[in-house]
Amino acid sequence: MISFPSRLFGAVVALTLAAGAPALSQQLELKIMAPAAPGGGWDQTARSMQQSLVAAKIARSVQVTNVAGAGGSVGIAQFVNGAKGDGNQLMVNGFVMVGALAMNKSPVTLEQVTPIARLTEEIQVIVVPANSPIKTAQDLATAVKADIAKVTFAGGSAGGVDHVMAALFAGAIGADAKKVNYIPFSGGGESLAAILGGKVTAGISGYSEYEGQIKSGKLRAIGITSEKRIAGVDIPTFKEQGIDLVIANWRSVVAPPGITPEQRKVLSDAVASMVKSDAWKEILKQKGWEDAYLADEAFADFLKKETVRVTDVLKSVGLVKS
Amino acid sequence: METFAALAHGMAVAVQPMNLLYALIGVFLGTAVGVLPGIGPALTVALLLPVTYKLDPGGSLIMFAGIYYGGMYGGSTTAILINTPGESASMATALEGNKMAKAGRGGPALATSAIGSFVAGTIATIGLAFLAPWLVDFAVRFGPEDYFALMCVAFITVSATFGDSPIRGLTSLFIGLTLGLVGIDKLTGQARLAFGIPELLDGVEVTTLAVGLFALGEALYVASRRHHTEERIEPVRGSLWMTREDWKRSWKPWLRGTMFGFPIGALPAGGAEIPTFLSYSTEKRLSKHPEEFGKGAIEGVAGPEAANNASAAGTLVPLLTLGLPTSATAAMMLAGFQQYGLNPGPLLFAERPDLVWGLIASLFIANVMLLVLNLPLVGLWVKLLAIPQPWLYAGILVFATMGTIAAKPSVVELSMLAGFGVLGFLMRRFDFPIAPVVVGLILGPIAESQLRRALAISLGDPMTLLQSPMSATLLGIALIALLAPFVMKGMGRFKANED
Amino acid sequence: MTDLPQGPASRRVDRAGVVIAAVLAALAVVLVWDSRQLATTTMYGMGPEVMPVVIAIGLGLLAIGNLVDALRGNLPARESADRKAVWLILGGLVLLIAIIGLGGGFIIATSALFVTTSAAFGRRALLADAAIALVLSTLIYLAFDRLLTLSLPTGPLERLL
Repeated sequence: MISFPSRLFGAVVALTLAAGAPALSQQLELKIMAPAAPGGGWDQTARSMQQSLVAAKIARSVQVTNVAGAGGSVGIAQFVNGAKGDGNQLMVNGFVMVGALAMNKSPVTLEQVTPIARLTEEIQVIVVPANSPIKTAQDLATAVKADIAKVTFAGGSAGGVDHVMAALFAGAIGADAKKVNYIPFSGGGESLAAILGGKVTAGISGYSEYEGQIKSGKLRAIGITSEKRIAGVDIPTFKEQGIDLVIANWRSVVAPPGITPEQRKVLSDAVASMVKSDAWKEILKQKGWEDAYLADEAFADFLKKETVRVTDVLKSVGLVKS
Repeated sequence: METFAALAHGMAVAVQPMNLLYALIGVFLGTAVGVLPGIGPALTVALLLPVTYKLDPGGSLIMFAGIYYGGMYGGSTTAILINTPGESASMATALEGNKMAKAGRGGPALATSAIGSFVAGTIATIGLAFLAPWLVDFAVRFGPEDYFALMCVAFITVSATFGDSPIRGLTSLFIGLTLGLVGIDKLTGQARLAFGIPELLDGVEVTTLAVGLFALGEALYVASRRHHTEERIEPVRGSLWMTREDWKRSWKPWLRGTMFGFPIGALPAGGAEIPTFLSYSTEKRLSKHPEEFGKGAIEGVAGPEAANNASAAGTLVPLLTLGLPTSATAAMMLAGFQQYGLNPGPLLFAERPDLVWGLIASLFIANVMLLVLNLPLVGLWVKLLAIPQPWLYAGILVFATMGTIAAKPSVVELSMLAGFGVLGFLMRRFDFPIAPVVVGLILGPIAESQLRRALAISLGDPMTLLQSPMSATLLGIALIALLAPFVMKGMGRFKANED
Repeated sequence: MTDLPQGPASRRVDRAGVVIAAVLAALAVVLVWDSRQLATTTMYGMGPEVMPVVIAIGLGLLAIGNLVDALRGNLPARESADRKAVWLILGGLVLLIAIIGLGGGFIIATSALFVTTSAAFGRRALLADAAIALVLSTLIYLAFDRLLTLSLPTGPLERLL
């Protein structure tokens, strides 16, 4: 399927080729799977890749397909089985898929795919309502230690990055992660309403999602989860407040299993030139995503470590049976 | 009066000829994709978003609003004409609308739905412009226990869709509740009734169920009894347009539907389904022609359609004032804003009033365009029903399955669609009402997760349901609604037995 | 729409009604069985296993209610059904699913459904209907896949376009 805009771009690419422009990769015809419904973070990542790859003339055409279901479990199963050995396919994935695969007892794992690169990450934040007596991360820690059941955390779906973070916070301050009173809401909107309405003690989310509320003073951010402070964000990290909590909602791109090293290199190179393109940088700025490019073996290592960490946390809160 | 000036400025931008053209294209594209069952306005917007990338912000927002309204209206068109609700919010429309179409009153049904959408959209847009800050304050105070109480009210009022026998109606409802359990439990991430099939982990898609039960079930049923009575569909009987009587019977439901749709749509977890059901049952109770319900009562189309449209404007309240995307469609709107590096939220009204008011004006213009485009088409749409029966039903089935094929082309999903078709056929054959199944699937999971959230916050104390004034009031209303008709029905039954 | 007992003639045990009651009871059992394999990890409030049991109890009560109705013969009267028509349409749906599952593409799959459905409604001109179906589904495919950029399943025919 070729959409109108990409057909136009195709014509442009053909013209530049005729003019004698080099680069073999312009022949690339890619398919990117977003293992989620249109509109979500993975879909937006896939479509942003599509836009940048075509705009920067790295690929001749890029087609995005959506295979929604169970935090990506359905998509990855189809990808691993259906795209095996195909050097023209990519799949977007991220933090949430690690937990989803473990919780759904998926027969397909992330070890089977060929890692290409980590692309972006979003920093996480803990917020409280503006009128809350809790002012710092240490205040929250004190409250949790006093009576862990009474401190309610609102966040996204069970086993997702927000939930894992609540458990990690409890673990970091020496409380029992299993006893955290975490209340999953469907979608950032619903949990934000619960926080603003004072129904819960604190809320956990990606920073960009609550940025507006934090800046307008309706929510107080008590800590962000990055290693160091971020330019332009006037919020202390948990680390500098003496709590060892570093986590990010990363998104990455992988290739099917069974591709040749040459095929892998072509895909890696395409993604490497994509992240350097102006189109990609512009999109990152628009969407508030941090550039977290990490390629090939370094990314493969990261993926392994993150899988172990997330699975351990999910075991500790009882979502994954050990 | 600042609001007026800002709105007037937005209007001035929106009525430029080029922008009007964009609105028309948007409405047309939106209707074209929105008529596919299973592809609601959110998915329509998502699929067509790339089309708007190439335009300037103003033009893009306007086309965007057009696609959105077009997608919503497309769902109602199929609900009325071929008993195939394009999305869950037009299910209530299908109940009466299709009966009207079969009785040759498809024209008035489509017209009351288009005009009702317009009226509701207009009132709700005005409400959005003037009441947003106040309404959002109320919406944020609505906690899990209050939502649960609201669900209780909804459960009891939708008994209007139950038909005549409580046992059969409840059986249908419980089948729906059972289907609602399928998939990953939102609060603990555990799979229920998924039997190890990954496609089931996300639960039963409302549109798959509705299309299967309504469209496929109906086709099977009509085919099975063709040898008894050749079902004759007359495309037009009486006036193609709304008569004076139709207008008289429609305007109050339009207004009441708006009153349900706008505030509930503004609630972060309100949605569009509950107001449409509430409107349907209210109209059934208040109607001077209750005997026509189930046979094609125009009130039953006018009210839910208005409620659906008003709730859509309602979801913009938390989106624009708080940056809360409370529905899939609102999330897509957010994506539309983000194209321009804007993040809706408390600062947006202050920082970029031109775009906010531009959007509100666009919604208004798109609404007008919808009316301009669709009213002349009513005659054409209704002619579709004149197609010979074999081809008509064959076409309906192709169309009904196509939505699922486009949205989720998996063998499991299509098998579920076929299975629900068989269920719909059997339920019709053994005279079980269809609508409560869908109601159960939609409301059951919401009621369960809100109750569990409320109990988790209160550490298991059920008194939390009575301690919130809002929840206590709603539960009181539910109790009255539960007892009142029972008392009356009981008396009615005594009389019937004496005969 | 006929919910009243149809006179003494129908006052017999209705077998279909008994089957319905049995299906509801079986559904209740499945719910309870399924809920038992859920781990109770919930620390506060209500776990995921409560609601299935509540619904199962409801289904059980409704099974009894339906059984009583069936034994009393209280079910509405039914007319005989044209089984052939029903099977034809179901066959069309199975064909559709199989063709899409095997990669036959949108056009052939929906054409198969079109032809069987129109046959179920009494048409006997199979070839004419097949021609109509192919033209129609090709037009739909072109309109929605190519013009409106929905992605519909492709097979041999779609690749020719």
